[in-house]
Amino acid sequence: MAASLVRFVRGGLGRSYNLARSSCLLQQQSRLQSSTTETSPTIRPKDAVTHSQLAAFGEYVAEMMPKYIQQVQVSCYNELEVMIHPDGVIPVLTFLRDHTNTQFRNMIDLTAVDVPSRQNRFEIVYHLLSLRYNSRVRIKTYTDELSPVDSAVPVHMAANWYEREVWDMYGVFFANHPDLRRILTDYGFEGHPFRKDFPLSGYVEVRYDDEVKRVVAEPVELSQEFRKFDLNTPWEVFPAYREPKEAAPKLEAGDVAPEAPK
Amino acid sequence: MAGLLKKTTGLVGLAVSHNPHERLRILYSKILASLQTMPQDAAYRKYTEQLVSERFNHVKAEADVEKLEKKINCGQIEEVIFQAECELALSRKMSEWKPWEPLTEEPPPNQWKWPV
Repeated sequence: MAASLVRFVRGGLGRSYNLARSSCLLQQQSRLQSSTTETSPTIRPKDAVTHSQLAAFGEYVAEMMPKYIQQVQVSCYNELEVMIHPDGVIPVLTFLRDHTNTQFRNMIDLTAVDVPSRQNRFEIVYHLLSLRYNSRVRIKTYTDELSPVDSAVPVHMAANWYEREVWDMYGVFFANHPDLRRILTDYGFEGHPFRKDFPLSGYVEVRYDDEVKRVVAEPVELSQEFRKFDLNTPWEVFPAYREPKEAAPKLEAGDVAPEAPK
Repeated sequence: MAGLLKKTTGLVGLAVSHNPHERLRILYSKILASLQTMPQDAAYRKYTEQLVSERFNHVKAEADVEKLEKKINCGQIEEVIFQAECELALSRKMSEWKPWEPLTEEPPPNQWKWPV
């Protein structure tokens, strides 16, 4: 079954979101038609109830905080994703922790993704768990190399080491972190190893030197010339996410979005 | 009353409350007062008022703690008190953040596009 990535857009009308919604609905419908006949046990069964519950909950959260939430989506594996503006890290996390209907009191994970082709290359991802309602949510925000993100430590204590890790591996600066220093790399290490532009071999190598009786660090030397391989696959990778052929017409502020054909 | 029957909540750091009704009444009226400062059409105010007044009515109507826990259906009464404390703190922070305002900034184009 093709991944049906349903976007639930925020309540505001007359925004450019309407555009995204109609095209996404189109894509989803075409995919649904192809997948309704598949009943083989290897196909993941669709859990429509959970999906719609999550979608409704996502709408609820987005309606509560329209100032910070840019987009809410439910993935094909029934995971709720909330995309927020970097200014809204503390308000959204606090809201999800303290509101009676959410109670996401546990931070499960905090990490980053590096996508160098984007204007804001780092995506910061927060995973939260609500023990009360037995549910999980994923919060995503973005930043670049220079702009700091508010630290989540005042809201979730668990964020302390995770943020140190993200700082160490990606070089994302967290403002107001109580103790932001390296955690995984060696003392005196330079650079951020998880960045896509960090070479796999690193910049320095260490060895024990018998003459000076200590470990010395030297710039890495490759025994052969650096070769660039063409690793691109000749096949199409994401057929479900093919770009639509013709661009949808641009809507003006007063226009009404055309209904997606049923 | 609850303290006579109940020795512990079974949860670390959560003591048995001896006067849950009074405590909840104070907390809920404080939350409702704090919500009054927000604009009428704010979604947070609307939904929280609905939620809190529903629980408040249960607290007013039901004297027996066990039945009240069943009616509220969100754990033991001490947990409900804790939730109300969190909600009160949140509502005060919310009036500072004003999250009902329109979106601060649209995401850059293709920021949330995946796969890239």
